[in-house]
Amino acid sequence: MAKHVLSCTVNGEPVEVLVQPYVTLLDALREDMGLTGPKEGCGTGDCGACTVHVDGKVVASCLMLAMQARGRKIRTIEGLAAADSTLHPLQDAFVRHGVPQCGFCIPGVLMAAAALLEENPRPSEEEIRYGIAGNLCRCTGYTKMVTAISEAAEMLASQRSAR
Amino acid sequence: MSTMKTTRDVKGVGVSIPRPDGPEKVTGRVQYVADIQPKGLLHAKLLRSPHAHARIVSIDVSAAKALPGVRAVLTAKDIPHLKKKAPTRAHAVLAIDRAVFMGQPVAAVAADELSIAEEALDLIKVEYQVLPASIDPLKAMLPGAPPVADAGTEADTSEALAHSAVAIAKSAAPAKAVNISQQARLQRGDPAKGFAESDHVLEKTYRVPMVHQGYLEAHAVLAEWDRNGLLTLWASTQGSFNTRSEVADVLGIPENRIRVIPVECGGGFGGKIRALCEPITAVLAQVTKRPVRYVMTRREELQAGMPAPQVIIKLKTGVKRDGTLMALDAETVIDSGAFSGAVLAVSAVFLGSMYKWPAFDIRGFEVLTHKPSVAAYRAPVAPQTIFAIESHMEQIARDLDLDSVEFRMRHLIQEGDPMVNGQPWQSNGAKQVLARIAEHPHWKSRKQWVAAGGKNGKRRGVGLALGGWLGGLQPTGATVRLNPDGSLAVLTGQVDIAGTNISLAQIAASAYGVDTDLVRITTGDTDVAPMTGLSAGSKTIYTVGAAVLQASEDARRQTFEIAAAELEASVHDLELTDGKITVRGMPDKGITLATIGKKGNLYMSKTPPVLGKANPAFTQQAPGFAAQLARLEVDPDTGEVTIQDFVIVQDVGKAINPLGVEGQMQGGAVQSLGIALTEGLMFDDSGRLTNPSLLDYRKLTAADLPNLETIIVEVPAPAGPFGARGVGEPPIIPAPAAIANAIQNATGARLTELPLSPERIALALVNGKR
Repeated sequence: MAKHVLSCTVNGEPVEVLVQPYVTLLDALREDMGLTGPKEGCGTGDCGACTVHVDGKVVASCLMLAMQARGRKIRTIEGLAAADSTLHPLQDAFVRHGVPQCGFCIPGVLMAAAALLEENPRPSEEEIRYGIAGNLCRCTGYTKMVTAISEAAEMLASQRSAR
Repeated sequence: MSTMKTTRDVKGVGVSIPRPDGPEKVTGRVQYVADIQPKGLLHAKLLRSPHAHARIVSIDVSAAKALPGVRAVLTAKDIPHLKKKAPTRAHAVLAIDRAVFMGQPVAAVAADELSIAEEALDLIKVEYQVLPASIDPLKAMLPGAPPVADAGTEADTSEALAHSAVAIAKSAAPAKAVNISQQARLQRGDPAKGFAESDHVLEKTYRVPMVHQGYLEAHAVLAEWDRNGLLTLWASTQGSFNTRSEVADVLGIPENRIRVIPVECGGGFGGKIRALCEPITAVLAQVTKRPVRYVMTRREELQAGMPAPQVIIKLKTGVKRDGTLMALDAETVIDSGAFSGAVLAVSAVFLGSMYKWPAFDIRGFEVLTHKPSVAAYRAPVAPQTIFAIESHMEQIARDLDLDSVEFRMRHLIQEGDPMVNGQPWQSNGAKQVLARIAEHPHWKSRKQWVAAGGKNGKRRGVGLALGGWLGGLQPTGATVRLNPDGSLAVLTGQVDIAGTNISLAQIAASAYGVDTDLVRITTGDTDVAPMTGLSAGSKTIYTVGAAVLQASEDARRQTFEIAAAELEASVHDLELTDGKITVRGMPDKGITLATIGKKGNLYMSKTPPVLGKANPAFTQQAPGFAAQLARLEVDPDTGEVTIQDFVIVQDVGKAINPLGVEGQMQGGAVQSLGIALTEGLMFDDSGRLTNPSLLDYRKLTAADLPNLETIIVEVPAPAGPFGARGVGEPPIIPAPAAIANAIQNATGARLTELPLSPERIALALVNGKR
């Protein structure tokens, strides 16, 4: 099958790659663009390890064809920290609260949490839990995750009001 | 054997310190096997049997081989050293003439691209003759059942040994049926007399289905051979030395021809101890002379991974009206799937050993069926066993109108009491843990909380359960080097999944006398690291921690000897503070660690480089107990359970890093709750898995759960580093019983089959099982 040109923006940079029309966005990110932060945990959209943002919305990149991302803005875990590599408050809170154990779910959880906070800057505990309900984690039991997200929300909100 | 140590006055043991690789994990920079892209990489796929039991009449791979981009297509006859009567799943690299479970690999492909390998699988033509299958373990035990293993296949007891479960004598009686692969019997006293003298006899059968460990990273391995015939495996494993030995055994090559590099492991929980896809990937790499990577799909994991066994426990107890224990009779059937290897002993030990039964007769059977063979899952067989005994104890207390905590406490074992195998219980915190949870306000206020009732007619219940794990042992090694900058480099082969390396660094810091910031710990591969055991059995901190502690003390001793010579003082007059060794009372007379470190690396220097080492073996286990309490609501119409509060109390001996300990307690508890409420591999009568996706096999999400409260109890382990015990396994044990007990408290229904799904609960209420 002939490859197609995929032009899109990934983590703020314009990207142009050749991909097979049947390739998923996840595979294109991982295999063709070298962005292995998004993980494949199930390949069927049930675990959330492949979560990225497409035009600011949470997407299971294993369920989206790469060509569907043409002309759109993709953000992966590699683009969550600031350009100067300062960790995003969510990432910083995850580290301080000792959230990552095996770490495989973490990129997806962080992207889901980042989208949640952009939509809902002051989520309740229940809203946080539903916000990451599409992401399975088998190590942490979620408690520290929820605490870290809640703390990062507070920090982001106070940064915003200080501006 | 090192005994209790005092921590030195440094930032070390007992402090919550985030793991140093945290920033790598939260930025997506950590590399797992599937993230490694060597030049010339080939992708592997396996053709798997669509039948639970079938004779392989013929295989035609010609069309697959002809597909452009395909580099190898292998069947069993291409691997001459494959033999029938494979003792383990790893040895059964490809099915030879018979497939014994649905999903068993029959052929293997390596191709330039994954999609080509997938296409090649479709082109392989296999003719099967479908044979009758043994699916239900109780039927598989009967004489005349369709046989699973080839006649003469040996039972595999290595898993039990790997977990250092307490050994029990294997029954000398010959197997009475073809699919019974192991059996054991433990007896004491006169159970018949005990039952005859009992006022209350309770008999129930508890059932737990196969559950999958659910590590989010599926099995994955990358294999490459060099021109000298050296095999390198980049593996997602819980123990690189174990993987090396198993692959060597299966491939028939010496261990020194294999180097296993443990790549970041995306979860194991017992499922990544034994080799699974490593041997076939190595063979594909050998045949193609290219690096070959194999990554299982989630569907393959669920259909053909190595889950925890199905367990059926028939339990009968006799007690006096006042609660005096008289007799216990139990029969445990463990469905091991198509290959032997379940941990039979654990079930017997915990059924009869947690409470002091004067007379018992416990029989255990490992049964083979035409299903995926099993492996360990965090405290293998303990959650299933504790579900039975702790449901039972609660029911006895309820029937006799006894306080369920007092009843347990009265009969609970303590150090020195004999286990069912006659060995004495080691020092443990069982009583302290139970006492602590009974003091919790949620327990003390349970009657008022339940009476208040939930909204919309929901019924409230509070339940608790106690569970324990004996604690694994394995010899292990560690070295500690002093660097020229005065920092320490610790080397082990320990695979760090949960964050154990930071705890090991804290142990080194406290034992040597520097802050943890000055300790860097490296997990070496099998070519460079000291021999190191598995990341399993709740023994990383207990055993590797002890090795690191001893090696750090050795390094400290060497450092002090050098300092004593330099300072012309006695070793006994020296002290180490802030990276400088000084003569006590003479703060100006000193030498820094950096100076000593530099001298060890100077041309023509006469100062030996500091290299502490330890390679201990162990004999004394350190049991770990956890108690869990649930406050929940049950919707009587739908059977839906909502957990409102969940409390975990655990004896960890000494919390080396409380942050990491809490993470273990919470993570283990949620896995335990998954076994209790939603999980189970469901097979139909033909041996086909009916829920092979994470949509249909439901793991708990954040939205299913409340915050989990953790209470750490510290009853020091006599031989543990700074008193520490293993923490990984105890928290996965009690929840199924705690939840069942809470559901009974809420509804009056005693449920004995997991998972405690809404359907089961609603049906029990409709059927009036009160």
